[in-house]
Amino acid sequence: MIWKGEVLVSNGEGGVYNERMLGGARVWDPYRSKLAALYYVGTGIELTPEMRVLYLGAANGTTVSHLADYTEAVYAVEFAPRPMQDLLEVARRRRTIVPIMADASRPERYAPLVESVDLLYQDVAQPDQAAIAIRNCIFLKAGGNLILMLKTRSVDVRKDPGEVFRDTLDALTAAGLQIKESTWLVPYHNDHAAIVCTKPARAR
Amino acid sequence: MQSYWFGDVEAGTCTPFFGDPRAIVERVSTITISTDTFVPLQWEEAVPCGVCRDRAEYLSTLREICFAAAESEIRGIYAEKDAELLQMVRMLDEMDTVINLLSERATDWHQIRHPTFSRKYHRTPAHILVRNMGEKSRGALGRVANQIESLSATRTDLAKEVSGRANQVIPNTSALIGGLVAARLVSQAGGLVQLARLPASAIQVIGARTALFAHLRSHTPSPKHGIIFQHRRVHNAPRPVRGRVARVLAGKLAIAAKIDLYRGVGAPEFIASAQEQIDAAGEGTKKE
Repeated sequence: MIWKGEVLVSNGEGGVYNERMLGGARVWDPYRSKLAALYYVGTGIELTPEMRVLYLGAANGTTVSHLADYTEAVYAVEFAPRPMQDLLEVARRRRTIVPIMADASRPERYAPLVESVDLLYQDVAQPDQAAIAIRNCIFLKAGGNLILMLKTRSVDVRKDPGEVFRDTLDALTAAGLQIKESTWLVPYHNDHAAIVCTKPARAR
Repeated sequence: MQSYWFGDVEAGTCTPFFGDPRAIVERVSTITISTDTFVPLQWEEAVPCGVCRDRAEYLSTLREICFAAAESEIRGIYAEKDAELLQMVRMLDEMDTVINLLSERATDWHQIRHPTFSRKYHRTPAHILVRNMGEKSRGALGRVANQIESLSATRTDLAKEVSGRANQVIPNTSALIGGLVAARLVSQAGGLVQLARLPASAIQVIGARTALFAHLRSHTPSPKHGIIFQHRRVHNAPRPVRGRVARVLAGKLAIAAKIDLYRGVGAPEFIASAQEQIDAAGEGTKKE
């Protein structure tokens, strides 16, 4: 990861969402992007230039644009038409983004388009976030990583976020993933947790 | 056999699929995959297939296809007839809020300039007051008042357009409850598809969220009606039967929304019998 002093940045064409520039690099704001927040509060996964990424819940392409600055290819899946319009605009200017309009909970629909990837990143506001991540692990290479941004409020508003967090960790472990790191994203995002897992070398 | 966007791969041999992006998108949408036997795509397989020469060409071809797919899908969703109606009615409701806010503020300002002015015992409606302010006030206040007035005129035009559009897009729902309220129902439900899938009991209380959740939480009386209260047959009904009218109306609206979605044209015989039953619900206990 590229840090300029205390500030996380990525190298790429600026002006995607009026982000601040620092010495020619794009400042990656932890308050806007949960992935950036993970790098501030925890370790995360070191992004490398040969990495291929499947990104579920790409939304307006803010985080996608930074991720694309670091990696070789990002398959960005988004379902809603309005954010998709923005995502397409971002993807037009960044040749490493492959925008896919599809429902992340139905990987079989976009399976003919996505290659196997080194990193699966998920940030979707759905109740069954763990199940969606597990289903999409078919695209993940053995030894590849999953970063799940858990929106506990989307799972169940009435449940205690801590309980949702523990349930999700159990579900991921039960699916054969190894938890590497799990952390809350305070002070940047409330009731959001990041879970980093590895898919073991042997197929489950 | 594994089917990918560029062709079918079986035992190391690839049968390519050539075509323009639209044809490829079409084919991809027909591919069904079982997640048990699925082998993820390896881009290298596309090279012997003759689809691309290298990684850069692979990505750019795939991108072209994905852009085509997404753009046509977005166009399809926006072309659905209720998409624009939704925006129109939301704009209308937003304008109402803004006009009220601005009028109140302008009146406050006007009162400062005229220490003896009070709206008490005046029958002047707000829009007449705004017009007077526009004509008589100096400087910015006068200009603001004029702006409010022209905004109100735009709002009136928009309201007509909304109900006209609703009559076209959702003819049966509009026939039962009026274009404007019908459009609001669609807007609150999130679209015609969503409205048509709601049960009548939910349609009955659309727009009464606070009351509904208060009821579910702390056993206050259940709401009898949400925005369908805006319909004259509900708010003109005598109190004892108002809930019943709302219930019958909501039931007919649930059917009307389904006709609007799946048939898309007016169903006069259904409307006639529905109107009769709604009227009957209101009349039954009138003597009480």
